[in-house]
Amino acid sequence: MPDQSAIMRMGRDLLVILHGDLDDRTVESIEREVTSEVARTSARGALIDVSGVDVIDSFVAQVLARLVRMVRLLGAEAAIVGIRPAVAITLVELGASMPEVTTALSAEQGMARLRRMRADDSARIDHGNHR
Amino acid sequence: MTDGPVALVEDLDYYTQMWNTIADYAVIKLDGEGLIRSWHTGAEHLTGYTAAEIIGQPAAVFYPAADAAAGLAGADLRAAAEAGTYATEGWRLRKDGTLYWASVALTAVSGRAGSAGGFGMIIHDLTVVREKALTLRGLGQLVNSIADIQVIRVDCDGLVRSWNPGAQKLTGYLAEEVIGHHVSMFYTEDDARSGVLDREMHAAVRDGSMEAEGWRIRKDGTRFWANVVLSPIRDDHGEVEGYVKVARDLTERREQDRLVQRQRDEILDLSTPVIQVWDKVLVLPLIGTLDSGRAARLTESLLERIAADQAEVVILDISGVPGIDSAVAQHLLETVEAARLMGTDSILSGVRPDTAQSMVHLGIELGGLRSRTSLRDALQLALRLVDERASSGDEAGVRA
Repeated sequence: MPDQSAIMRMGRDLLVILHGDLDDRTVESIEREVTSEVARTSARGALIDVSGVDVIDSFVAQVLARLVRMVRLLGAEAAIVGIRPAVAITLVELGASMPEVTTALSAEQGMARLRRMRADDSARIDHGNHR
Repeated sequence: MTDGPVALVEDLDYYTQMWNTIADYAVIKLDGEGLIRSWHTGAEHLTGYTAAEIIGQPAAVFYPAADAAAGLAGADLRAAAEAGTYATEGWRLRKDGTLYWASVALTAVSGRAGSAGGFGMIIHDLTVVREKALTLRGLGQLVNSIADIQVIRVDCDGLVRSWNPGAQKLTGYLAEEVIGHHVSMFYTEDDARSGVLDREMHAAVRDGSMEAEGWRIRKDGTRFWANVVLSPIRDDHGEVEGYVKVARDLTERREQDRLVQRQRDEILDLSTPVIQVWDKVLVLPLIGTLDSGRAARLTESLLERIAADQAEVVILDISGVPGIDSAVAQHLLETVEAARLMGTDSILSGVRPDTAQSMVHLGIELGGLRSRTSLRDALQLALRLVDERASSGDEAGVRA
């Protein structure tokens, strides 16, 4: 992973802080470490903070969408936080607006959304059981 | 050399040969009556007459009809006879009727003992020289009549070589204060230090001319925004001998441009207000037509406000928009997408029945965008969404 990137545990969730320049090599190590950490800790959610990433272009947008799918495959929810206004505009212009990915304004809001997604999920299951 | 007849003949040969090689002057001998007594190839070349045609004719044949009739030829000869020599310039006539501008020198020659006196007449065709001089004078007058534009000549070392009233008006300097001084005296200190002139001269030589805009300094120290065109002056061999520099004061136009830009910005700001109506809820009331410039501005200011206020929900109220076409809808959807990327939900409000019909007929796809007809309903929905999120997700919230 790039030097200043980090994975922190917050209760049953992980906070993944990405930093610096994301290229092919760093992306590979990020995917490896995030997936193994989600599995190892049996995390229920991963909040990915991209506010420290130098450049967010369509390549990085693909990487992020992929990372979210990997986390979901491991049974956890994922959300992205820290997309700045200029980056948001650029991604929409590039047609890389990651429609399937949950986003949040702040780490706090992001954590709340992860919890809500889980609650919706269990509510759906409960609802299904009652039927 | 002995002073004998042989030597005289040799001298004559010598002078005849020399005469015949003079091509652009006519050197003619006139007798005391003003009749032409000698001719040579240079004279034939200049006037078109052959010796056979001209020998014995009066000098008046060289004058234009009006001048000849006025007796100008005789007057010229009398002037020469009185003063010894007489020089004049004027139009003269060729055999074919065309005119040339001639410089004429007349010398009274007193005859040797026993022979009558006469005149030597030297005619030089100055038509081309006169044309050039007139052209130059015309150009000079032209340059001097330009009151508001600086037109100056600069040599290859950057020293000012000519000055015009426009330059004086523009900079406040008189000609004697600048001629021979380096043009960098009009530049800002930074420009003068960084060698702007050298770069401009280089570009002018490379591209044929160079146009630039920048600050220049007047004599009184105030500055003006100048449009400058620099063109190299080349000699007949193509070597650069200096530059013509034309400068105009565009300060006023620049101020106007900036004023218009500032007003346009202000209007855009006024036309894209973002209102915080509730904690974490923003309303963007859209009014008037949305062109792409306004739409981009709108998206930008909305996203900035979302980041600043940490808004969870944005209501886009389109009740003030006269019509939604596919371009406007595209702008709106992009704004919604960008807001979502930041983590903010959007609600469309103020959709009228006819707008709903035309949007569907146009095939505008709203995706997951929620829509309400009134701002009140939209606000209720927004508050529910915010509440729902605040309820920390421990229990299932209300679904929209």
